[in-house]
Amino acid sequence: MLNKFSRYVAILTICGLCGCAGTKENCENMPEETSGLESYNRAMFSFNNKVDKYMLRPVAKGYKAVTNEYVRQRVSNFFNNIDEPISAVNHLLQGEFSNSGNNLGRFVINTTFGVVGLFDVASSWGMEKNKTGFDETLASWCVPDGPFLILPIMGPSTPRAATGFVVDGYSSPAYWIAQESGGEDAWLVYYSASGLKYLNLYAENMSMLESLEEGSVDYYEAVKSMYLQNRKKIKTCGVDAVETPDYDFDMDDMDDDY
Amino acid sequence: MKKILLLVLSVMCFAQMACADIDRTKATAMVENLTKEGIEKIINSTSSQEEKNKVFKQLFTENLDLDFIGKYVLGRYWRTSTVQQRKEFIDLYKEFNVQTWSKRFDEFKGKKFVFNGTGSANNPNQIYVNTSVPVPDGQPIDVKWRVYEHNGKLKIIDIIIENVSLAQTARNEYTSYIAKSPKGVEGLLENLRSKIK
Repeated sequence: MLNKFSRYVAILTICGLCGCAGTKENCENMPEETSGLESYNRAMFSFNNKVDKYMLRPVAKGYKAVTNEYVRQRVSNFFNNIDEPISAVNHLLQGEFSNSGNNLGRFVINTTFGVVGLFDVASSWGMEKNKTGFDETLASWCVPDGPFLILPIMGPSTPRAATGFVVDGYSSPAYWIAQESGGEDAWLVYYSASGLKYLNLYAENMSMLESLEEGSVDYYEAVKSMYLQNRKKIKTCGVDAVETPDYDFDMDDMDDDY
Repeated sequence: MKKILLLVLSVMCFAQMACADIDRTKATAMVENLTKEGIEKIINSTSSQEEKNKVFKQLFTENLDLDFIGKYVLGRYWRTSTVQQRKEFIDLYKEFNVQTWSKRFDEFKGKKFVFNGTGSANNPNQIYVNTSVPVPDGQPIDVKWRVYEHNGKLKIIDIIIENVSLAQTARNEYTSYIAKSPKGVEGLLENLRSKIK
């Protein structure tokens, strides 16, 4: 089921990318969100919100009730460690060789001394986390981001981010172990582990999302704005990420007082 | 000739004064003091929630220029709104922000700010005070404080967390709401009124 869904997303997102294939300018000048796309996004956002409210949140609250921060941290460390080889490969594809070496070193150290990744020993040895994925690789190859999209269940995305997400999923060592084992049990373990990974992440950020919703007059617009601003951190075409937002506070309107 | 030279020098001096760089040490000290007081008097304090809210409101309104931010947030609708609407918007915006942020105290428990110097903004009268918040899972969270000098006083006009500007986010959100609301600015005011308890 999840496999089929991933394939669907892959096809959808690759179509999205192909849709703006051609000159780089074409894609950059593409309107951020057409009214048709906005209608779809808002409808999907509302659907996701209901799933979030009536399904994910109760499960995450239950998960939080039976785990403490220490346990959730171990779970998070474990999955971060599994993803280190993905970062290593993508850093190679981006031409960042020393970062790739750092990922591999972290993986070896945390898998052994860190008890299968439960403890981040490498960070305390000065090998800092430097996560990356296929989304950043595509950005380094000058693939444009495309328009803002709300994906079913997954939430805010762009065609490039969604492609990165799917490719990272397929290149995960956990996926290949399940694939090699082939048995139904292996896939059950894989899907349960994937579910736990996102449940853990959601549980850690649940209260922040709740207060963001409460403090918004237009929750969708707030999420969209934050998501797109945050994506400007990604290094694109070898150009360093935007260090600070480049908007200007010096509006003429500021002269008007009340 | 001497007069012209004097005039040119005067103009240059005036321009220099008008564009005088903001005192980076003072700006850093201001943000440092705010975060220190916030952690001591609110996050780590054992006083009641009501007392914490009171201290927070005082720190928030003293250190942030919410009039300036409020105008920026309303964007192009600032010019088209009435004097009464502008005044009410600023008041509601202040109140709504204090209410929203005071609910997030627990998220900052056990956190500390590391100061990483200052950066230049596109206006010489504004600077960024760069800080980071170490977290157990992942790289430290990058927090930048945009500070400006107004009437000889330093004030914060934006907080940028992981490249997400709170002022810019609010501007996108509020202007989109106004554009979609049949009542325009009045519709936004009604919404804010209903949210303030």
